Amino acid sequence: MLHKVLEIRNLTATAYVLRIERKKVSFKAGQCFNLGLKNSGVNREYSIYSGENDSCLEFLVKEIKEGIVSPSLRQVTLGEEINLHGPYGSFVIDPIKIKQVKFYFICTGTGIAPFHSFIRSHPNLDYQIINGIRSLNERYDYDEYHPLKITTCISREKWAGFHGRLTAYLPEIPIDTKSIFYICGNQKMIQEAYVILRKKKVSGNHIFTEAFF
Amino acid sequence: MKIAFSYPPIINSDGQKAMVSQNRNVQFFMKPTYLLPIIQGQAATWLRDMGYNVFWDDGNSQLKTFDCWYLDLIEASPDVIIFESTTPVMKFYWNIVNKIKSDLPHCTVIMTGYHSMRKPQETLRRSYADVVLRSNHIDFVLQKLIPYIDENSQWRENCPIEGLVIRIDENNFHDTGNFKQIETLDLSPDVDRDLVQWKNYAYENGNFLQTPGTYATSVVRDCMFGKCSFCRYNGPDLTFSMRSVQKSLDEYQKLIEDYGAREIFDDSGVWYRGAEAREFAQGIIDRGLNKKDCYFGFNTRFGYLEEDTIALLAKANFRFVLVGLEAADEETLNRLNKGYGPKDSEQNLKLYTKYGLFPHLTIMVGYFWQTREQLNTTIDTVKRFMFEGLARTLQVTICTPIDFTPYHQECIDQKMLLTNDYDDFDMSKLIVKTPIPHNDYYDAIRNIYGIAFHPKFIFKQIQFLFKFKKRDWQFLFTYGIRAIRRVRQHIFNLTKQQKNKVIK
Repeated sequence: MLHKVLEIRNLTATAYVLRIERKKVSFKAGQCFNLGLKNSGVNREYSIYSGENDSCLEFLVKEIKEGIVSPSLRQVTLGEEINLHGPYGSFVIDPIKIKQVKFYFICTGTGIAPFHSFIRSHPNLDYQIINGIRSLNERYDYDEYHPLKITTCISREKWAGFHGRLTAYLPEIPIDTKSIFYICGNQKMIQEAYVILRKKKVSGNHIFTEAFF
Repeated sequence: MKIAFSYPPIINSDGQKAMVSQNRNVQFFMKPTYLLPIIQGQAATWLRDMGYNVFWDDGNSQLKTFDCWYLDLIEASPDVIIFESTTPVMKFYWNIVNKIKSDLPHCTVIMTGYHSMRKPQETLRRSYADVVLRSNHIDFVLQKLIPYIDENSQWRENCPIEGLVIRIDENNFHDTGNFKQIETLDLSPDVDRDLVQWKNYAYENGNFLQTPGTYATSVVRDCMFGKCSFCRYNGPDLTFSMRSVQKSLDEYQKLIEDYGAREIFDDSGVWYRGAEAREFAQGIIDRGLNKKDCYFGFNTRFGYLEEDTIALLAKANFRFVLVGLEAADEETLNRLNKGYGPKDSEQNLKLYTKYGLFPHLTIMVGYFWQTREQLNTTIDTVKRFMFEGLARTLQVTICTPIDFTPYHQECIDQKMLLTNDYDDFDMSKLIVKTPIPHNDYYDAIRNIYGIAFHPKFIFKQIQFLFKFKKRDWQFLFTYGIRAIRRVRQHIFNLTKQQKNKVIK
């Protein structure tokens, strides 16, 4: 399906938010879509960034230098159409659990995208984000999260907060094992975070993962 | 401890053998294709490396009769037997497990495979199996489980390893919870080719243009897309993991230089894409493996490979690209969650063939919603692709809902299934309600396979000869003869229901 590009909001040299028209697309927060240039025949998967009730669809895109799709999407002129397929996937929140438990959202880089979608879609969600990034400027749309509900771990810059990888931070904090844990980002982080949570006696049935690659 | 990785010869009433086929489901063939089970091969290698006495017991590839296979197994008297099964052969496996447990009561039987992993309790209730793996990462689970069994007499009650359902007694089972693949895939070893007797799988495979051919240790476990509704690589319990490029390149080098492989296929659900695909192709070139008379092949998805990558793959002597063209109409592609549109397939095929790759299309017919118009769109599109030389080979299968995939669940929820008998899930007939008669889908299969004999297709293959590439000549004069035999067999398998009963 073709959708017009409405806005490209540059966040850093390597990240941007792509906003496209929604048309009648319905989705569940956390699902992903395939995006590609019109008539290119090539596409890639991106998690939804916007909320279920937002008027447009938004995607938080990390530009891969050697990539094909992410650099070309950034060059699209406003009003141009791009290809969209989806939504797909089961990295979603069980609506029954929303009022029952606390959610931990553990992510690196643009892996925060599905959690942004969760929070926009479910304003009363009891959540805590643990976000691992390399530098301060990667705190994408930081103001949209409750300041007490997001912890940032910065690995390559010293700052007032936690300096180091999130996998160094995670073992240090108390965890309520009844909570539900969503992990999204690069695979190595997911593997390490999973082991840490299991060591903290979190059941594997309470951990959901989505790898970005 | 003696451990057997066993595949019994299973023969149906038509005298055909059960073989793992499309999507790792079982189909019956008179002249089978012997596919090396890679993850089991890795598990066997890993356990052997840990010091266990492992033997590879594939009665099919070792050309044993059932009786011969069974007597040999009983005589070997293993402490542990590991089976892999899917829906259409579940009843057979339950019976054989019970027979084995009667003859070898001390033996621990472990069931693996996509059916039992989704319904472990069923297998424990319907047979005397001791353990069911709830994971397809058989290698990672077994390398923990086997030592635990070996070292703990109370293993049934106390085993803490995730991803298992263990029999405690007749009615009580110990469920250890979900398994998630959390370790790097590089920890699992390359398949030991001698252990699995690789040459038994090196010749009878319709996808090899040159032999001996072999399957590489898969670079990707599960699927990086993992959303296609009919596919078993789909579900919250499955994870995506990838081997390092250099480790895989090392294996290719060994397969070519030490074993003399002339065609290597990677059967990962979807192979590398983007940077990893280019790094791999460049690695093949840098090591000079592209000049060793060995072709390479893999599975991919439309939309995953762009022109620069395809050009590099061609330079590295890649040939065979297996790609799913499950349908050619937009509605079906959307309902299957394929993630691309009808036009994308043609664009991708044009690029593959521009650089001399040989696309192989895997087509399916018989979705419960598939109208005559949708079916004809698929037939016409496939014909055009084949006549124009945009694809070189194909296979058609009846879409059979299997092993509790989302499509299977959809069929159950919408009451579209015509049978609950697991034997009927062998892809030999339609088992869902459809908007047009079943015979029309069987005719479509015959029609699509008939492309191989069409003058336009043959003329196109003759045209390819004038490119003066070895692979084109091999394709027509070596592969072509083998292919005709296989095409006839596929037509028999998939349309015999027109002669026999059709489920109504």
